[in-house]
Amino acid sequence: MARILLADDDIELSHMLVDYLGKEGFDVDVAHDGGAALGKALANPYDLLILDVMMPIRNGFDVLRDLRARSLLPVLMLTARGDDIDSIVGLELGADDYLAKPSSPRVLVARIRAILRRAESKGELQNGAERTDRIALDDLVMHMGSRTVVCGNNAVPMTSTEFSVLGILLREAGNVVSKANLSERALSRKLSRYDRSLDMHVSNLRKKLGPLSDGQERIKTIRGVGYIYSRTS
Amino acid sequence: MHRLFWKIFLSFWLTLIIFAALLMFAASSYLEHIRTQQDIGSMHARLSEYFDQGQTIAKQRGIAGLEEWLHRLDHSEAIPIFLIDEAGKDLLEREVPADITARLDRRREHGEHGVRKKPSHRQPIRLPDGSSYRMIPDFQSITLLRVLQRPRVMALPVSIAALVSALICLLLSRYLTFPLERLRRAAQQIAAGDLTQRVVPSMGGRRDEIADLAGAFDKMAERLERVFGAQRQLLSDASHELRSPLARLQVALGLARQRSSGQAEKELDRIEIEIERLNELIGQLLELARLEAGVDAAHIEQIDIRDLLEGLIEDAQFEAESVDCQVKLQKAFPALIKANAMLLRSAIENVVRNAIKYTKRDTTVEISMLEEAGKPDSIIIQVRDHGPGAPEEMLSHLFEPFVRIGEARDRLSGGHGLGLAIAERAVRLYGGEIRARNEPDGGLGIYIRLQRA
Repeated sequence: MARILLADDDIELSHMLVDYLGKEGFDVDVAHDGGAALGKALANPYDLLILDVMMPIRNGFDVLRDLRARSLLPVLMLTARGDDIDSIVGLELGADDYLAKPSSPRVLVARIRAILRRAESKGELQNGAERTDRIALDDLVMHMGSRTVVCGNNAVPMTSTEFSVLGILLREAGNVVSKANLSERALSRKLSRYDRSLDMHVSNLRKKLGPLSDGQERIKTIRGVGYIYSRTS
Repeated sequence: MHRLFWKIFLSFWLTLIIFAALLMFAASSYLEHIRTQQDIGSMHARLSEYFDQGQTIAKQRGIAGLEEWLHRLDHSEAIPIFLIDEAGKDLLEREVPADITARLDRRREHGEHGVRKKPSHRQPIRLPDGSSYRMIPDFQSITLLRVLQRPRVMALPVSIAALVSALICLLLSRYLTFPLERLRRAAQQIAAGDLTQRVVPSMGGRRDEIADLAGAFDKMAERLERVFGAQRQLLSDASHELRSPLARLQVALGLARQRSSGQAEKELDRIEIEIERLNELIGQLLELARLEAGVDAAHIEQIDIRDLLEGLIEDAQFEAESVDCQVKLQKAFPALIKANAMLLRSAIENVVRNAIKYTKRDTTVEISMLEEAGKPDSIIIQVRDHGPGAPEEMLSHLFEPFVRIGEARDRLSGGHGLGLAIAERAVRLYGGEIRARNEPDGGLGIYIRLQRA
């Protein structure tokens, strides 16, 4: 049973969500302000943190920033609808995904499951199953088992979603992967209008990994089509 | 406080005084210098020389030559030297001072008697025609005017005075224009949206009228910042407050579905649709409110319309495909507009979504950029659908809030009639125009005219 921490200052909403998610098979803890959320997230082993942006004491972004300095706990941000800026900042700071409030709880559950699936491989390793897959290209090595990335000689910390996106692009290096394709495989959802999360994850990857050894941009955007991981010429 | 007034007044006044004083000083020093040169010895020597010169020229070239020579002498010698004829008139017809005339007369009276040796130059210069002229230097007549008329004398003091006064005036100008320039730049920044600009810190502790202006400016900027901040906060709070109950409704609905296990599906679906409608309506109302309040009018940048349209169409395709339609960019070219990117995008998007909603199945919503002959400073964005169009009398009312085509409030097509109102407000904010007309081959065409940057 996956353990989830829900950080939201709307008490009534939180109670209902605990109920709903409980029926869907999740074990949910709550925190009603930023301070409590950060404290609980660092003290206990959760599989996912659902983080509301607008919270008293410390808002969601501050909590995320502090959390990311010490943990790679997957985070799903709840943002205000119609405010693009919120979601973009959240993804920049290292959230795995975002969902605008208000949204149907069905969608929420789908997103939760997608994130948990991505992070599951770690769980598999901890259960003893060995996975020796690794993908290596030029200066980049991805260890699928431990879900770690080494670029040049440096280990690069990544969220599980970023890891998934990179994995897909790297496996098809030199070929374009369409946005729709990438969305289904990495995010487990159909690409919808205004979904900027892919853009954001790719942008974060670019920032974290930098250009290729020959100066080329590592991941190129092909307008109207998708993304491509470049091979050195 | 009129400090600036006095600063300017005193600076100019002082400069003028210094300039004049320097000039006087230079002139009087020169006069002193000249006077001290008039020791008898050297003066006598020079006068003898002039006498010899004059006599020679008189013999060789007559009166004309003598006149010319005297003229030149007058310009080079500091003191005037007269050549007075027997009638008491000067050769160059200059006015002979009374004391010289008196002296000459005395000499004439006593002259025949004295057999003393006279300095040579006291002799008259004799011309071939018999007339004679006496050479008399006039020591008393070194006038300021004579001195000022000598360019070589004046050059140095004038240059120094010019330099000093130039320096003073330069400093004064900079002192005045620098803060004004700073004020201008701050005002421009504020107009462009940066309400945090303040000028008092860069006024350098001066306490004059310009400092007062700077203080007033900062107060105004503060007030603007507060007012805009308050409005932005209000809209953000309204957004949050309106959406929280909706969020709770959504989850409650989810719980109801879980509990009802399939029974009341239809009703629950209907509730979900209405919640979604409310959500959209709130979003659009807030957007309209923001436009009216002008909080986003700032943050203006240069936007390439073609890029904006291409990005927009990528997104619109999803919605179009869900109703079996397409969106296509027929014609586009690079064109720059100065506007807030988010607002402009939202405006055009509302128009496009409207078109998608009304166009018939399996048709294409066509977007084109057009140029109008005779109006090179603007571009037109045309969005046309292949739907039923609109009744002629409604065409001008389409852009009012909550007005929709269709006699009955056509709920099935969704939307609340706010999309075009939002588009109109946004376009108007940037000095543009928006119009609707029925296309000759069917469907509605919306035309947005915008000013090029």
